[in-house]
Amino acid sequence: MRWCLSLLLFCFLAVVNALSSSGNRLLVVLEDATEKESYSTFLGDLEARGYNPVVESPKSDKLSLFELGERAYDHVLLFPPRSKGFGPSLSPKNIIEFMNKDGNVLLALSGKSTTPSAISSLLLELDLHLSTDRSSMVVDHFNYDIHSAAETHDVLLLQRPGQLRPDTKSFFDGEGVLAFPSAAPHTLGDSNPLLAPILSAPVTAYSYNPKEDFGSVEDVVASGSQLALVSAMQARNSARFTLLGSVESLQDKWFSATVKAPGDGKESETANRDFAKQLTAWAFKETGVLKVGKIEHHLAQDSEAPSVELNPKIYRIKNETVFSIEVSEYKYDKYVPFEVPENDALQLEFTMLSPFHRLDLQPSGKTENSSIYSTKFTVPDQHGIFSFRVNYKRPFLTSIEEKHEVTVRHYAHDEYPRSWKISGGWVWIAGLWSVVAGFLAFVIMWLYSAPTSTASTTKKTQ
Amino acid sequence: MPAKRTTAATATPSITKSLSSGPKTLTANSSVSEIVHHVWQQYLTTTPERTMLLDAFMAFLVLIGGIQFVYCVLAGNYPFNAFLSGFSAAVGQFVLTASLRMQTSTDKAKGANGMGVGSDGVSHERAFADYIFGSLILHFFCINFIN
Repeated sequence: MRWCLSLLLFCFLAVVNALSSSGNRLLVVLEDATEKESYSTFLGDLEARGYNPVVESPKSDKLSLFELGERAYDHVLLFPPRSKGFGPSLSPKNIIEFMNKDGNVLLALSGKSTTPSAISSLLLELDLHLSTDRSSMVVDHFNYDIHSAAETHDVLLLQRPGQLRPDTKSFFDGEGVLAFPSAAPHTLGDSNPLLAPILSAPVTAYSYNPKEDFGSVEDVVASGSQLALVSAMQARNSARFTLLGSVESLQDKWFSATVKAPGDGKESETANRDFAKQLTAWAFKETGVLKVGKIEHHLAQDSEAPSVELNPKIYRIKNETVFSIEVSEYKYDKYVPFEVPENDALQLEFTMLSPFHRLDLQPSGKTENSSIYSTKFTVPDQHGIFSFRVNYKRPFLTSIEEKHEVTVRHYAHDEYPRSWKISGGWVWIAGLWSVVAGFLAFVIMWLYSAPTSTASTTKKTQ
Repeated sequence: MPAKRTTAATATPSITKSLSSGPKTLTANSSVSEIVHHVWQQYLTTTPERTMLLDAFMAFLVLIGGIQFVYCVLAGNYPFNAFLSGFSAAVGQFVLTASLRMQTSTDKAKGANGMGVGSDGVSHERAFADYIFGSLILHFFCINFIN
């Protein structure tokens, strides 16, 4: 009965997880229902990938991120609000609370409208900074679309982002040009290590407020590639917050636009649709999600004997030990074997308070949807409570934090090598035995030497 | 006090005896080698056989212990338990032998009919039995410790 139930539950879970690794309930917060038409391709793509988008207005009374204290949605997509904010049910506190409960948020901004202060304070909490007037947009006189922004230069043409660092995976690369119309820039603070920029403005770009029509830009806070257009924050519980600077780039118009940069007159199609897919896939945990499978550790053996105990609770100092971990990565709709990026390493720590060993785990095998990493090492000459730890936290990948405690004991009394095995101690062994032999010889001589002398001396005294 | 007097009394005849056959009596300005030689001769003639045996064994123990210590200084103390047990066997045996010597040699002439009795009323046989018992315990510990 219970078996049947668990099977049923398993099937149900499989259906739920068919798309995103964390569910398909998507809330789209869009203030103006008429705008929905202009995003039809984008929303259609999401629906085609298995999401159930629920479009709500922030003014709606029944809108709530939580239901009976649990998350009512798995992901939230926030379009920029027209009014002063998203209202009480989407206050910064609620959105942070939503993320604390493992919900993912994708927030899109626009440079055309002033960003409300409520959103600004939410972003400040995540150490993302908007410009002080909150209504700037990015302008670039070298990388703009000459068809649509010949005068204003506010439609940026950008290359697809590559790797953030040489040791990270790139989830957003590809061919083609991205068009970012009227993008609201933001800068990344340096007190939040969980932030990672996805797309930055070109070096020739700057931030400009069209409402304050000065001839020149004064007191620039940031310019060039300091201005981020798309950034991501992955919290410690692996909840994802993504900030997209230009909501217009998701519109149907820009999914299939033909753009042309100044200078070389080559027309090209925008890759916005592909990028939007990659961005939402990452933001809603379709990519870059790691899962740990089996974790095994045991004593190393020359031949694969079945007698070796798996995951023993206790090891002895100086034991040869093998540790292996199975890691898979979620990729759109299934788990695939996880490949560590080229300049990176998955590491094992053998720790008691501080690591005694920190070793690279080498790929040692592969199953259909996971790869196995393992290493072999000698347990340090220190007894106590140790733990095998794998702590892998990288930008764009959900964190792996595994901790398995084992006891390390010292040698048992009969496990030390016998004294004669150590040649350095032979002199002392010989010394001890010569003392014993000398003692025996002395005792024998003493017993055979006794009475006559005493007799003679006693005679003399008398 | 009486013990001292008896030794003095017993010593006198033996010295006179040795003087007749041994080296000449020392003069006031004899050389160092003469003094050493005299003391040695004196020792050889006046010491009972058993005490000499004890002394020889103690000298042997000092030699063994010295070799072990020098080896430790030169070659390092790697199997430290081996050094400890080897060296402490020599030292412990030396201490036990010294106490046996104290119990048996001071009053070799006092006991009657070959029954030597120490100043504290312990017979030589009893002292020797204690010595064997103590030594066996020492050896047991040292062999165990050296593994």
